[in-house]
Amino acid sequence: MSTKKDVKKIREAVKRTKRETYTPVKPDMQMGFVHNNVDCIGCRACEIACKDKNGLAPGPRFRRVQYIEGGTYPDVFAYKVNMSCNHCAEPACLPTCPTGAIFKRKKDGIVDIDSTLCIGCRRCEAACPYGAPQYDPSDNIVKKCNMCVDEIDAGRKPYCVMACMMRVLDIGPIEKIWDGSLETIAYGGKDMISRQVKNMANIELTKPSIGFVAHSKGKIK
Amino acid sequence: MKRYYLFLTLIPLSIFVMTLSAAENLTSKDYHRAQWDPIHFQPDIATATNKQCLSCHQEVLEQKVETKSPAGVEAASTLAWYQTLTTYEGPQKTFHQRHLSSDLAKQVMDMKCTTCHQGSNPREEAIIPPDQNLDQFTLRKSVNPETCLMCHGDFPDFKRMGLTSHWNTSRDIFQNNCLLCHAGVRTTRHQVNFLKAEAIESAGKKDSDICFGCHGGRQWYRIAYPYPRHAWDGMAKEIPDWAKDRPTESHPRFKLQTEKVSKK
Repeated sequence: MSTKKDVKKIREAVKRTKRETYTPVKPDMQMGFVHNNVDCIGCRACEIACKDKNGLAPGPRFRRVQYIEGGTYPDVFAYKVNMSCNHCAEPACLPTCPTGAIFKRKKDGIVDIDSTLCIGCRRCEAACPYGAPQYDPSDNIVKKCNMCVDEIDAGRKPYCVMACMMRVLDIGPIEKIWDGSLETIAYGGKDMISRQVKNMANIELTKPSIGFVAHSKGKIK
Repeated sequence: MKRYYLFLTLIPLSIFVMTLSAAENLTSKDYHRAQWDPIHFQPDIATATNKQCLSCHQEVLEQKVETKSPAGVEAASTLAWYQTLTTYEGPQKTFHQRHLSSDLAKQVMDMKCTTCHQGSNPREEAIIPPDQNLDQFTLRKSVNPETCLMCHGDFPDFKRMGLTSHWNTSRDIFQNNCLLCHAGVRTTRHQVNFLKAEAIESAGKKDSDICFGCHGGRQWYRIAYPYPRHAWDGMAKEIPDWAKDRPTESHPRFKLQTEKVSKK
């Protein structure tokens, strides 16, 4: 509670903080997702498990299985790119939030949103190059994937990973995913992990924490 | 006999149910048909006007932010990092309103819906098939973040500009005045169809936050946009190494219709 005496101090503080800048949090260890684009059958069990966990109505999708199909007969192809929040090293959503609802955990780099602080300005939604923040019209606020942080704290994996019947989705320390040293059945010994697939936004924008086993037609040359 | 009466009652009831479901189908079909309207796809979207877009999407300008968050944080008492510039004024608004109808937007911008939106595929929200080589579409909604990067990127390489540090910390040395140097360097600027070049020049003279706002101050991303290097009067003939791959013209989509370039 401010008193009259504090007014001058507060005004000075406001002036001082008027020009604030943002320095991204450097996590002790960054967790991330890995998805095998080739072996994914696109059943969307992960999407549904996520919706179930987060109580989402039709509309907002924290996890999005994107079907990529194309080519001309006989050279046709189909693969899936599966993304939720990429828990970026330098998230674009975070500095846009006027209420400080979005934060990055120091412990494992998870980018979370406290939706109870959200006013629904949807800036984060515009800023994210991967479409992670999802506007929920029923509450007029934005919500997003938090890698099931409660499950992680309880020593388990997120709902989407647990629901994946092809076991093509997994989580782990992102450096281990990128160098292929993570013990997982999401990729095989000979699979190369790429940080970006075709038509995915430039990873230098936010440095997303995600790895893919890219389809031959989805590889970036 | 009873069965006969029951049958007679069921006939109008079933007709009523059928009519109801048909009406429902029609409404839902209209919505779905609208989603697949050619205006949402190339080439029609390239020439779509704001009026056409807003005839269905008017809510983007009308939607209001909550006055209080569910936990009780008052919208009027909060600021995002980049809203700490002097150019940020007024109550919290949605990003569509900030880009189209806010005072600053009206003063220095001339943005259309199609400046950012280049199509919307209702299926996966990314227009890729059948031509996978369409690199202007990304695996997200319908806006390519490279478009956002033009005004929401980092401050360009300060060393190249001859600054000692980022503008955040060196602005006082230059009296917080971009035009101290840029009155003579890179003077052919903002010649694109979504900005009001002259208004930016005059506003930038009064307040350098107008310039810095789009060149690092309103930063979403951690890299700077490699702006095309339009030739200016007094420009050195030799192109420096860092600018050798830079385009010298804006993207055709953003080029001004009449090729008028101010000779400032």
